[in-house]
Amino acid sequence: MYRSGKIVRMNTSIDISHIRNFSIVAHIDHGKSTISDRILELTHTVDERDMESQLLDTMDIERERGITIKSNAVRVSYDADDGETYQFNLIDTPGHVDFTYEVSRSLAACEGAVLVVDATQGVEAQTVSNATLAMNANLDIVPAINKIDLPSAHPDEVKTEIEDDLAIPADDAVCVSGKTGEGIHDLLESIVFLISPPKGDANAPLKALILDSYFDEYRGVVATVRVFDGSIKKGDTLLMMQAKGDFLVDGVGVKRPAETPVDALTVGEVGYVVTGLKDPEAVRVGDTLTWASNPCPEPLPGYREAKPMVYTGLFPIDNKDYENLRDALDKLHVNDPSLVWEPETSVALGFGFRVGFLGLLHMEVVKERLEREFNLDLIATSPSVDYHVYKTDGEMIDVRSPQDLPEATRIDRIEEPYLKAKIICPPEYTGAVMQLAIEHRGVTTDMIHLTSKSVEMRFDMPLAELILDFFDQLKSRTKGYASLDYEFNEYRPSELVKLDILLSGDEVDALSFIVHKDKAYGLARGLCDKLKEIIPRQLFEVPIQGAIGNKIIARSTVKARRKDVLAKCYGGDISRKRKLLEKQKEGKKRMKAIGSVEVPQEAFMAILKVDE
Amino acid sequence: MAVTALYVHVPFCAQKCRYCDFDSRSFALCDLDAALDSYFEQLYARLDSFGDAGALAQVRTVYIGGGTPSLAGERLVKLARRISMWCKPVEFTCEANPESLTAELATALAEAGVTRISLGVQTLDNTELAAIGRIHDANRALAAIATVKDAGLDVSCDLMCGLPGQTAASWRSTLDGVLEAAPHHVSVYPLTLEEGTPLYRMACRDESLEPDEDFQASCMDVARELLGAAGYHPYEVASYALDGHECAHNIAYWTGRGYLGLGRSAAGMLDTGDFDRLAGLFPGVSARGDAYRVRLVQRDDDATSFEAEYLSQREAAAEDLMLACRMTRGIASDLLVRAARVIPADELTAACDRALELGLATWVPETLGVHEGPFTSADVVAGHVRARLAPTHLGWLDGNVLFELFWDLA
Repeated sequence: MYRSGKIVRMNTSIDISHIRNFSIVAHIDHGKSTISDRILELTHTVDERDMESQLLDTMDIERERGITIKSNAVRVSYDADDGETYQFNLIDTPGHVDFTYEVSRSLAACEGAVLVVDATQGVEAQTVSNATLAMNANLDIVPAINKIDLPSAHPDEVKTEIEDDLAIPADDAVCVSGKTGEGIHDLLESIVFLISPPKGDANAPLKALILDSYFDEYRGVVATVRVFDGSIKKGDTLLMMQAKGDFLVDGVGVKRPAETPVDALTVGEVGYVVTGLKDPEAVRVGDTLTWASNPCPEPLPGYREAKPMVYTGLFPIDNKDYENLRDALDKLHVNDPSLVWEPETSVALGFGFRVGFLGLLHMEVVKERLEREFNLDLIATSPSVDYHVYKTDGEMIDVRSPQDLPEATRIDRIEEPYLKAKIICPPEYTGAVMQLAIEHRGVTTDMIHLTSKSVEMRFDMPLAELILDFFDQLKSRTKGYASLDYEFNEYRPSELVKLDILLSGDEVDALSFIVHKDKAYGLARGLCDKLKEIIPRQLFEVPIQGAIGNKIIARSTVKARRKDVLAKCYGGDISRKRKLLEKQKEGKKRMKAIGSVEVPQEAFMAILKVDE
Repeated sequence: MAVTALYVHVPFCAQKCRYCDFDSRSFALCDLDAALDSYFEQLYARLDSFGDAGALAQVRTVYIGGGTPSLAGERLVKLARRISMWCKPVEFTCEANPESLTAELATALAEAGVTRISLGVQTLDNTELAAIGRIHDANRALAAIATVKDAGLDVSCDLMCGLPGQTAASWRSTLDGVLEAAPHHVSVYPLTLEEGTPLYRMACRDESLEPDEDFQASCMDVARELLGAAGYHPYEVASYALDGHECAHNIAYWTGRGYLGLGRSAAGMLDTGDFDRLAGLFPGVSARGDAYRVRLVQRDDDATSFEAEYLSQREAAAEDLMLACRMTRGIASDLLVRAARVIPADELTAACDRALELGLATWVPETLGVHEGPFTSADVVAGHVRARLAPTHLGWLDGNVLFELFWDLA
């Protein structure tokens, strides 16, 4: 393959001792992406002029938001100072709590991690949590102190912090600058010497982990895999051990970062497999691939199905877009099998879907992609978890939308999902974190001092509390220092009520919300006030009421608009005037008429913005 | 239909007001003279080409706006004379700012054919004047009103409500002071923050500068009450006049008459018949078969570049309905009947009904003394009953909703 006149060697038969699989982990903004870019540049994987910064984040939204959502693996060839050529597989990992599962899958594919620490900021919360994740995965860690070009850099102090706070030997720490490229060569050498080569048996039956998958219209599902034993080549028939399906390999290759076919993926290597499968759900991240004819006895451990945690209603503002929304969801699902949905009908919003997401960030990303890539205007309603409602007749129903909650008299009890949440933060914030947890019905179950600068706290708390603004609050109350991880624990009975919102006396089903009874009053008041801010003034007064059953527990009023008229005439330029009117109207298009009240999209998510 | 109105734009100011986003530039004094000279030469030439094309013969109203036309001094007088050579307008207005309107200028303008001066007074509170970047004070403004009257001209005062620092009391005292000076006409504009203006940027940093809608609405109510009591009747959203002193030029804008625009950023509006006849004056603007009305904005000083907007007959009808809603008397029944020839009657009826339902407008019988009995919107649209659809108090203050309702028929 030619790239800018340089021949990139297709080294497919490299010895396993010359492979290094690693990932780069860091606190946000400590320079993970720039260092990745520099590595690609220095190994001539990408020419300087082709360099588009942050190459690994490919989705528009990922680049705009500076977050990584999908895992990505790139192979580079490195000619080391010892005269040997090494194969590096650089595996990028998502950095948000919604995608924790993908992080653990990605780390499972590595033998080492480069831990990037900002030379001016030092060790921060995510440095600790990411280092912990890496150590728990038994990875060899190469500390890299970044941004040494800055005048305020203090690498020696940072080294001490790495040793004291993370218990990682820092003699080997490399000082680098992602900006100038200084030290990147040393970093590459350290990767060769400090990170272990993969172990595995080239002659054993195939055992490969699926890290990620995406759908290609022509080639079907393409899976990113790490081979632990054996090898994969075109024409092999492979078995997916959890999904229990098989397929004929249509081709294998690696990303450099452009997809480049190779003859085979051998033991220790990372690359992609073209499955030809047309059903995106057939391939599951975390599954183990093996040969159909000669399977390995045991799959790799740790497979977990990505389960939706949060459900929101998605409704097209224009009801005519319902079919388009369904098609768009179908198309997105192809690359994002964790997305689930079912039809939902709202009196206020018409036909739409109740969609399940991994978390709120996932929800935002999906909504944004639907709007942007499919040109839809959508309303998302208040998020809900999956409640187990036991009715008086003994039946248990799953309620994922407040509208589906049966009448109070027909409910025996409601159970809600509880989590085990783990928060790591510096000791000075433990008070603030505990306070936050209490406000969110959390109970502290354990507290461990990891190092002098980090404490791990464990909480039992309802998922419903976490999906609202918990993560943002946690970040703001700990100045960004805390990190959060959680897993599902169990369903527990809870005193929950349905809070209804009435606009001009009429209940608006899409604004209802299921909430713990102790929080209902505060939330109702907060929501009424927030809606008053969000709903623009109309020709008439709009009373907003919060109610539980027939009981009104909070109210506010949007005053009637008194003046809205373009009075000044610009020398007879009536077009200009009309354009102003039309601009105003454009704004109204983003609103939904509920009865006679014009309600902006964000009103349906107001619950996320209520300051309690 | 011959063109009966002419607008001339003078885009120069001594200093730009902080709220203004109209096309106007301020210059250092030495450059200003040169800029004005060159600009007015182009105006004269353009005027003459209009005149030579026979476009000015039927002109009844002229309005020279800005900017600050009075800043041009003798050049303005020369322009007025030149206009008067081409036509004999019954109403000829010049905008002026108090600081640049001298007695000599007023007299010279009157002699040149000008009949009316529109003065930018804005407020009679000196602190408020300073806050919006005006370079005159209240006394200067009052003196200017007197000067205009002494010259035998009609005078109109522009006032603004919702200015930074303005209070209910200061607004009342501005109104009282203006009434005392007894102009013939008063315009009351609520301040709007326009993007890109200094005041807009200031308000982004200091929310208290943002005009309060409720306050503006009550100012507009107070103005209507005080001006009404003094004999000034409201005839348009922002305009009040003593009987017989309504601005005919302004009314032309709101009643779908054609007008010509002269000068940079000036807008003109022509029906296709007029446009076809005058097309040679608008280089680069092509005729369009399906158009019924053309609106043209001059883009440059020397009238070589224009922005054109073409309206179909239906769009023109919807625009006429929308603009009629600005007038206190509202949409006359013959306009509705005429509109029904191009807009389906059921849609037109529905728009009227919606306006009634929202409380934005009401039917007022046009034939005095004739009792019509109960009737529906459809009756008026069909021409069976003669009644005008007049904006209510709500339809006045929340006019945009009403305007939109009728423009939506396009």
